[in-house]
Order: sequence, then structure tokens, then C-alpha cells
Amino acid sequence: MDRRIWAIGGGKGGTGKSFVAANLGLHLASLDREVVLIDADLGAPNLHTLLGIKPSHPDLGDFLTGAVPSLEGAAVETPYRKLRLVKGSENILFIANVAHYRKLRLLRQIRQLQAPNVILDLGTGSSFNTLDFFLSANPGVVVTTPEPTSIENTYLFLKSCIMRVLKLYMDHYKIRDLHQKMLDQIEKNSQSLYGFFRSLMESDRSYGTILYRALRTFRPCLVMNKARGPEDVQLGRSVADVARKYLLIDMKYLGVIPFDPDIADSLRALRPYYPDHRNSAAAKALRQMAEELAYSIEFTLRTPPEIRLPDA
Amino acid sequence: MLKRIEDWNYYELLSVERTASQDEIWEAYQAALSTYQNGSPALYGLVSEDERGLVLERIQEAFQTLRDPDKRKEYDLALLRHAPYVPPKAPFRRSAGKLMIEEAPPRKGLWARLKRLFVKNP
Repeated sequence: MDRRIWAIGGGKGGTGKSFVAANLGLHLASLDREVVLIDADLGAPNLHTLLGIKPSHPDLGDFLTGAVPSLEGAAVETPYRKLRLVKGSENILFIANVAHYRKLRLLRQIRQLQAPNVILDLGTGSSFNTLDFFLSANPGVVVTTPEPTSIENTYLFLKSCIMRVLKLYMDHYKIRDLHQKMLDQIEKNSQSLYGFFRSLMESDRSYGTILYRALRTFRPCLVMNKARGPEDVQLGRSVADVARKYLLIDMKYLGVIPFDPDIADSLRALRPYYPDHRNSAAAKALRQMAEELAYSIEFTLRTPPEIRLPDA
Repeated sequence: MLKRIEDWNYYELLSVERTASQDEIWEAYQAALSTYQNGSPALYGLVSEDERGLVLERIQEAFQTLRDPDKRKEYDLALLRHAPYVPPKAPFRRSAGKLMIEEAPPRKGLWARLKRLFVKNP
């Protein structure tokens, strides 16, 4: 089965990751495409609330503890045709610190789900759990807002992803001593990543080439949410451009989702936004992004970094 | 290819194709100015003030070159030859205490032309 795993993540809380995940899922399902939404925000799950669904069992916690044998069993039907949901666990303390072998089992089962579209709604921050889910997906979408705090955390999130990709490759090729060197250099200035690769290329060209190629396969997308004017459209473009130049990654800018006060009203009414506001500018922007990600040949050809998580 | 910002060519710097029209270059220039303007939120937490100034200077240089068809042609040729491009500072250069016109034809060529005019079978 041709399966696409979408991950919606970002460095800052409140940027609208769950909103984007829920409404992308609703849009794809409305086009008669089967979708499984997974609330992988292990620390603060609330994707079900955005869909107007009350928390119930089975959920992700039941799968992780083994109460439900497969992830397929934890994906419950929703009031929306073709859309299933794996709810986040209420047992937050347990699930936020999920053990490594459980995470591997979850990643394996995500790849085996019987649905052409699997959307992961990730939590805030740069924990290894969040990063590994983000890196396993294609496409990985970073949601940000125009505030400087949000942009600062977006760069931090991207840097963390880059370091995680490189660390996994270093572990795989047993060149772990390079990791500390990278950490030391990366703190210095914005062009430190270039400096790290330059010195690596001079000392060991083959490893330098392997790591640089690994970095170039990390190709996230950017969405500027809650945009209030044309300057925010340009800001998104600028962030993607700066990331390309300074973090050496191939970042695609998907565009903006305009700010809409109806989104907060929908939340308060515990109703999903998309079905009731199909003609709004935000819904149109979401549709356009979904089409680009689902159909564009560019994204069909894109492959995420081949990360192999160690079994330990 | 792994490059420093200082080594990006003008097209990479403005994020335009090499076949970009003048309008596209103008738009890319405006976008680059807004990215690297003083206090730009897009640089927050990643790019220092010194680096910003440096990139802005190069963006100006890139626009001045690409907007002029003659300079652009010369630059494109230099890119094709992989030769480093040095923007011309002035049409004259000072040499041995006197001003010389750079584009004056070489003397050897002038003599050869004169010889061809007056000598039937050189």
C-alpha cells in the first residue's frame, strides 16, 4: 500500500499544530481518502477535543502498555467518514516518558497501519521521542507563528532535528567521538554547522560526505499559522530561506494560514473547524497545503532520512 | 554543494533561477532586503548583527550586478568559467603615475592593422 506518514510538529506550544493536524485529516477524509490521526503529543494530548470527541478507551496508552495488542486496534472510528483516531493517553506521566523499546514498537506499527494517510500530531519541544517521530515521517511539517519567540523555537527545533539525524548516522557508522565536536561547534555561531562540515571534510572526506548527504535528506516543510497580513507571508518565506542558508537544509515553505477568530469559537463550542468553515481563507489555505503535500511529484519523490534507531 | 554564505553566488543569494527576469530579480531583492533588514524577526536567535550586515552588503552587490544586463552577462560568463568575479570599481585604473583607459586597443594590434593598410604583401 502506498502510505504517507505526515508529522505535524514545531518548537513552540500554541502555534496550532493540533489544529493543522485535525483539519488536514478532516479535509483528506472528506475527499474519501482513509486517514488515521494519531495524537502523539505525549505530554499534553488534546486532538480528540479539536474533533469534538470525548476521551475514552482504547487510546495510545492502552497500546503502549499492551492492553490493546496492535495500534490498528487503538484506532477508533470518529463521527467523520474515513477518519479514525488514536487518542492520546490520559495517563500522561507514564506516556510522556515512554521507554525506548515501546517507542520502537509504536514506530513499527505506525508503518503497518492499514490507511494511506497517517497523520501524527506531535508535542512541543525537542525530546528524542518527538524528534524521532518527526524524522520518521514524510512530509514533516513545522508549524510556527509570526512571534519572535515562536521563530526562535522553530530554529531550535530544526537544529535539534539536524543534530538528531547526524547523531543517529554517527552512531550507525561508529564515529561517536564526532558528536561532542559537533555539539561544541554548533553553540558558537550560526555558521557553525558549515564550520563543522568544513573541518570534517578536511579531516575525513568520506564521513563528511555521508553526514552531509544525510543532512540534505532532512527536508521539512514550514507553515506560518495565524498570519495577519502580507508581512507575515514574507516572514515565513524569510524563515525558510534563512534555514536553507544557515542550517544547510532543504526547507519548503508551504504558505500561511490566516488568523481567524472563528477558530477559537469552534474550539469553545467543541466542534471541529473545517466542516463548518469550508469557504474561509484558513480552510482554503489548508486545502491548498494538503493538495501540495498529497499530490505534488516533489513530495512523492522526497524520502526522509534513513534513520535506524538503535535497539538499546 | 557545501558552501559558506560568502561563497554563494548572486543567484543563490537572492534565491532566484539563473534565467530570472528583471521583475523576478527585483522581487527577490525586495524579499532579501526584508529578510535581512535591521531587527528582522526572521533572523531572531540564529544570525548575529555582524553576519546580517555582511549578507546585506552582498545582497546589494548582487542586485547592482544582476539588474544591469551588461554586468549580468559578464557575471554569468565568469560563473560559467568558475572564475571568481570581481565587480569593477571604476572605468580607469592608475598605472605608473598616469591614467590609462582599460579598454584601449593593445599597441601590437594597432601596428598590425597599420601594416595591413600600407603594405600590400606583408
